[in-house]
Amino acid sequence: MRYAAQRAGIGVLQLGVLLVLVFALSEALPGDAAYVRFGEQATLDDIGALRTRLGLDAPAYERFLSWAGGLFTGDLGASLVSGAPVAETLTRALPVTLVLTVVTLLIVVPLAGVIGTVAGLREGSRLDRALSTLTLSLQSIPDFVLAIALITVFALQLRWLPATAIGADATTLLTAPALLVLPVLVLLARTTCLLGRQVRAGVIGALHSEYVAHARRLGLPRHVILLRHVLPNAVVPAVQELARVGDGLLGGVLVVEAVFAIPGVATEVVDAVQARDVPVVQSLVLLLGAAALLINLAADLAAHRLVPRTETRR
Amino acid sequence: MRARAVAPAIMLAVPLLAAVLGPLLAGAVTAADGPPYAPAGGSYPLGTDGLGRDVLGVLLRGGGSTLVVAIGAVAVAYLLGGAAGLIAASARRRAVDEALLRPLDILLAVPSLLLISVVAVWWRAEAWAIGLIVAVLHAPATARLVRAAALDAASGPVAEALALQGEPWWRIQLGYVRRAVLRPVAADVGTRVTAAVYLIASVNFLGLGLDPTSADWAVAIAHNRGALLLQPWSVLAPAAMIVLFTVGLNLLWDTMTDSTAAR
Repeated sequence: MRYAAQRAGIGVLQLGVLLVLVFALSEALPGDAAYVRFGEQATLDDIGALRTRLGLDAPAYERFLSWAGGLFTGDLGASLVSGAPVAETLTRALPVTLVLTVVTLLIVVPLAGVIGTVAGLREGSRLDRALSTLTLSLQSIPDFVLAIALITVFALQLRWLPATAIGADATTLLTAPALLVLPVLVLLARTTCLLGRQVRAGVIGALHSEYVAHARRLGLPRHVILLRHVLPNAVVPAVQELARVGDGLLGGVLVVEAVFAIPGVATEVVDAVQARDVPVVQSLVLLLGAAALLINLAADLAAHRLVPRTETRR
Repeated sequence: MRARAVAPAIMLAVPLLAAVLGPLLAGAVTAADGPPYAPAGGSYPLGTDGLGRDVLGVLLRGGGSTLVVAIGAVAVAYLLGGAAGLIAASARRRAVDEALLRPLDILLAVPSLLLISVVAVWWRAEAWAIGLIVAVLHAPATARLVRAAALDAASGPVAEALALQGEPWWRIQLGYVRRAVLRPVAADVGTRVTAAVYLIASVNFLGLGLDPTSADWAVAIAHNRGALLLQPWSVLAPAAMIVLFTVGLNLLWDTMTDSTAAR
């Protein structure tokens, strides 16, 4: 319990720093909202008037407080380009990204668990070596190269699956799963390999441990040793790895949404960055960053719950 | 070197040579710009891309902004993180240790591709700037690694005796503690360079990094993607270069660390 409170405290602190970081980064962007909205032909008077109206001439800390305060009351600001509230964009884009990531995670965890356990139990065998080389190679191929390769083979040559999910929303993705196959495959490739290798290392570590040797001497059945003693200990580093997989997944989503033209949160971020639409970038980056912090927090707490000894090891 | 390391080493050498020596050769080997998406053959052994550039020329010119920048970024990350890690490991007070490493943890938690895409807006089209951000993003992890590896040696009796003899701090670190750190660092460098290449290539592919007319491999892939069936080489050749490098490096490092590990 003490550990949980401590870890949650660090999480809150991290969130605070993230808030300041995101604000400072967008402050440092050349040209502010007034310039962006008027473009090249603005006069200085126009810009000055708009600045006053948008409250941009207030000191930085006042703007920071009003921005951060707005976030907590659910006011995410509005796009400079389209004028649409960010919250509206989110309600449209977030479900799409959630479908992508949740489907991927639902497949990744059991798949990596099985691959890692099978390879770990047969350490050094031909199967283990083949799986090792395969996962290591697959994990080294950049997402965008894999995506292009899959599109070329399955969408353009064989014509089995659609090449893009343009114009899709969360419900069409769920009702037409063919749209999801290639994007999810791309997201799966790296995450499964990373996680599977971690599970394998965990299983091997546990199999070589003294408590498993002792359990064997006691004559416990193999499946009891595996399920009660090997797997719970092997899962701990894997759970922490899952947090890093979450980070990789967010990066992967950026690439996958761009390649398959899926209108999710990542597409909105990329568009907003390219258009220098500061309020949208601020809110979306903060949201994704907060999601990553939450995943990290959950992973640490879960790891602690599984094997409480991690507390002393900090 | 083991027989198993030969194939990965060759895979790695092709893109690395192209990135390092390519720019010197490019002028002599490649033809002038022609029509866009000309098929392979004649004066264009790999055809031309969407801007009418010789694909072979793009291959020879576009490696540095990915591979050389990534390797440089990892080197800088180890300079920054290594210094912080060594100071943290040899600090007598726990507060110094905590104050150096805790803030870095926050950077570890932020999705890297997200951060880099936002920061890259400042210095658009600058390869070194992207490399610098990648270095900063990797510094927390290298600091942790170096600190963990150096901890026992830096606070052990030998380091203490050296300090009592009046050896300066930096000589203890570079002369003695270094030995404990070198091996874990060597094991880590391979995967870290792969990750850096991965990040840089992804940013450039997404159009958040270098200029869209740059000869960079990832930029060329993004640019010519639409003409994949029309002129496959314009996409496949740069993609093959990146994949050969990342897969080759990871496999090579895997066999090397495998053979050095005392199992």
